[in-house]
Amino acid sequence: MRERPGSRVGTAPRALLAVLLLALVGGVGLARGEQAQRGDLIVSLDGHLSPLKLPREHAAPVAVELEGGLRTSDGAVLPRVSRVELGLPAQATIFTRGLPVCSLRRLDNTTTAKALDACREALVGRGRLQADVVLPNQQPFRISTRLLAFNARIDGHRALILHAIANHPPTAVVVPFRFRHGAGRFGVALVANLPRALGPYPHFSHFELTLSRHFSYRGRPRSYVSASCPIPKRFTAGFFSFARAGFTLADGGQIGTAIARGCRAR
Amino acid sequence: MRRASGASRRRGWAALAALAALLAPAMAAAAEAPTRAEYVSQLEGICKPDAEATQRAMKGARSDISAERLSLAAGKFSKAASIFGSTVRAMGAVSEPSADTAKLSKWFSYLDMQESYLVQTTAQLRAGHAIRAQRLTARFIHNGNLANNVVLAFGFNYCSFKFSRYG
Repeated sequence: MRERPGSRVGTAPRALLAVLLLALVGGVGLARGEQAQRGDLIVSLDGHLSPLKLPREHAAPVAVELEGGLRTSDGAVLPRVSRVELGLPAQATIFTRGLPVCSLRRLDNTTTAKALDACREALVGRGRLQADVVLPNQQPFRISTRLLAFNARIDGHRALILHAIANHPPTAVVVPFRFRHGAGRFGVALVANLPRALGPYPHFSHFELTLSRHFSYRGRPRSYVSASCPIPKRFTAGFFSFARAGFTLADGGQIGTAIARGCRAR
Repeated sequence: MRRASGASRRRGWAALAALAALLAPAMAAAAEAPTRAEYVSQLEGICKPDAEATQRAMKGARSDISAERLSLAAGKFSKAASIFGSTVRAMGAVSEPSADTAKLSKWFSYLDMQESYLVQTTAQLRAGHAIRAQRLTARFIHNGNLANNVVLAFGFNYCSFKFSRYG
């Protein structure tokens, strides 16, 4: 049985609080972002808005930077992921009016250069994606791909297409994400059912994605993602549910984690 | 081979009895100590109703702060702090898996800090010190994430820190 003395923090040395504050300012401890574990599977998610200083009253152009993935605590082979859901902050808005769209057909089996040639005007983000390739009777190996994110419409609805390409071995994958609105505390969620076309071999492990695009519409500057920091005048910073990553596994299991981040008012 | 004399046999038995007396509490504790899975299940049983109560108590706290109703928000934080404190005390009364005591000790020290941050935030909101309350909230979130990392392998749900529960 553990003895529960009263709170000891009230008497904690000021130095400890100073170190904590420094750690916060420096972002120490957030390098891997937030993590959650189910069995041997660990999910992690990190991210932030850039810039951090935003207007209180109206939305300003921002970039949403997200990084996360799956790993196993014992180094075992990762399970296959059948569905990915990325919740984005409620105070961020996605604006696509006037932004060209790209289609799955134009991106299928293209290199990065050809994808950009075909759809550069619809480019809204970049990143990296890693997956473990598990082939029968072989040791799994990791592939690292470059990611391009394109604005799209699928079945008449706003969407995002991720184009991933690896050099070794040469691999090109196109994954459509649909927008789902009213995703709980998150304003909008990007949802992808990983297509059967990916086959049984790639097991998703890690992603980094930055969504940002400036363009003009009817002569006015616009941003693919905009956000505000809606806090009262007496405060200089606010905290909010920033993002959530949820993964549905091929066996039906689910794992996910959410992160809270702050913004500063300007 | 020389046989042991009666006196030396008696000394041997006495030594064995003393050793048994010394080891008995440790052996009993080891027998009582739950496995990690049992411990997690017991703690989740304690945390679930309290996590739900915290969520109810904190409902609307963020909009209260946005609308500068700081004293109303302070009342909600105070309730959350009291729920948190009683939960941590109930958790502390549960026998721990013997292999995890060091890890759990670290976790409990983070939980103590969490409670303290809630209490301090309440006081600062009551006093109308918005910026101080804001700084404490940043520490509360950061400390909560550190606490989660310590017991990541336990796979807690209700006993882990989730920002979404606080308004």
